[in-house]
Amino acid sequence: MIASAIGFAAVFVLVLLRLPIAFAMGLVGMIGLVYETSYRASISMVSRLIIDTSQDYGLSVIPLFILMGLFVNKGGISRELYQVSNAFLGHFRGGLAMATIVACGGFAAICGSSLATAATMSKVAMPEMRKYGYSDSLSTASIAAGGTLGILIPPSVILVIYGLLTETSIGALFIAGIVPGALGILLYLCAVRFSVAMNPEAGPAGPRATWGERLRALNHVWSVLALFALVIGGLYGVLDFWPIHLAFSPTEAAGMGAAGAFLIAWARGGLSWRGLREVLEETTLTSASLFSVLIGAWIFSNFVNLAGLPEGLLATVTALDLGPWVVMGLILVIYIALGCIFESMSMLLLTVPIFFPLVTSLGFDPVWFGIIVVVVTEISLITPPVGLNVFVLKGVVGDVSTGTIFRGVTPFWLVDILRLILLLVFPALVLFLPGQM
Amino acid sequence: MRSLIRLTTSLAALPMTMASLALFALMVLTFADVIMRSVFNAPIEAATELIRIGIALIVFSALPVLSGREGHIAADLLDGPFESWGLQRWRDGLITLACGAMLWFPAGRVIDLAYRALSYGDVTEYLQIPTFYIGMFIAVMTYLTAVVLILRGLLRLFAPQLLDSAT
Repeated sequence: MIASAIGFAAVFVLVLLRLPIAFAMGLVGMIGLVYETSYRASISMVSRLIIDTSQDYGLSVIPLFILMGLFVNKGGISRELYQVSNAFLGHFRGGLAMATIVACGGFAAICGSSLATAATMSKVAMPEMRKYGYSDSLSTASIAAGGTLGILIPPSVILVIYGLLTETSIGALFIAGIVPGALGILLYLCAVRFSVAMNPEAGPAGPRATWGERLRALNHVWSVLALFALVIGGLYGVLDFWPIHLAFSPTEAAGMGAAGAFLIAWARGGLSWRGLREVLEETTLTSASLFSVLIGAWIFSNFVNLAGLPEGLLATVTALDLGPWVVMGLILVIYIALGCIFESMSMLLLTVPIFFPLVTSLGFDPVWFGIIVVVVTEISLITPPVGLNVFVLKGVVGDVSTGTIFRGVTPFWLVDILRLILLLVFPALVLFLPGQM
Repeated sequence: MRSLIRLTTSLAALPMTMASLALFALMVLTFADVIMRSVFNAPIEAATELIRIGIALIVFSALPVLSGREGHIAADLLDGPFESWGLQRWRDGLITLACGAMLWFPAGRVIDLAYRALSYGDVTEYLQIPTFYIGMFIAVMTYLTAVVLILRGLLRLFAPQLLDSAT
């Protein structure tokens, strides 16, 4: 217990010194294992982990889902998604900001990263909102908040990592993310309405599109919507076209998604040789960095398990006679505090090996906890002082101060807190759909 | 020296091409496997082991390049203070050096394990590919990553202008 506490503190310090998180967790884990066992045993365990992880069939979901997102992005889908949402919502007050939220949600349905969603959508939505005289604070806030949907709406890289770390079904996690993700979109739309109600000049109404224009716009995105339906439907096992029954494991769903996205991008003529090369290289580099952090996290969690941290924590909690919900409340407070310092992936890797055994032994559902962790992480992406999405946006847009963005984003994280409470009080919102699988 | 660094940078295209080809093959293979199984009821039996080898190829081909570009996920929270204290170069150099040194120990052990697989005659299930090759590949690429990190760390510490002008 004390050894793991020291280990955790050491990782914390090393990460702050900018040692890559994979190496920080790997190093502390390795030294900790030497302390708990012996040098030879530690090195053997670590090298086994390296060999096994890099040949783990289940881990192939990582490169394939990243590939899918990048291919679809090359096909120019972000602009078209925005045009469709705009055609349907643009004539409302605050309509362009609402369209941004919906387009972000749609983009999140193929891309698993919040930062990528925010960065991509800001290039598309920001000029449009400026053109119609939207205030900087509302336009940037709607993109930063909409971007957080990326890690909850499946496929989500963070949920994949959580599933792999905790051996929770990735398929169930994806399905469980659908309702909370949709709820997120809905509440963000309310937040936009609230913002324009408070300050009507912030988001004037645009012209109303005709039904003809709306259908034409829809015509551009149906292929991507179909791809999403194929991937999620296949995971859920509901695609039964006799005599063909499509039921995918997460790896297969990712492979189908990537191949489908490749075909879409290619058919649209958006994919040159150079573009293909860029997409493939970016995917391999991102995958290598995710595999490194996974190996590091596994070494570290081997150490804390051997050092008896899970039992120790549970014993402490039992001795203090804290109820499960008090513990859950404490964990959430820790997440929100850590979220002020760390970006989401590091936070997840640092905390899940420690909290997960405790939470499950207190009787909480592993899938539900995964979704809760991701929702809390989302909140940390847009709250000061280190709202990462806010900084991404600042980087892309340039001439807006982070203060302006943070001001605009306040209603959005308030509704996020509301959503978190709803999911805590009604776990069925998360667990109903995966329960039907 | 400068041209040496440039040469290394252009040599990086080699593993990146290998990783990209492996990734594309992985995608095609998964797709083909699902179609063959669902439509023709004839799954590709060797798919699983090919995918496993494919991942190792992707990850460990990209790893030296990723490390050479300092692309690992890290927190840049204290960049401001370090910069203002003028310690950034020292910190980055030492960190990179430490990362390289750290990989040295398990890499040696991976080689041992690969040779053990060779002596046992371990092969994959369907295609009978000796697992020794996969283990050796992982070990060699881990060593290469370590060398890249150590060189980069040393350059950052002692000749930062070379690193900045050549990349």
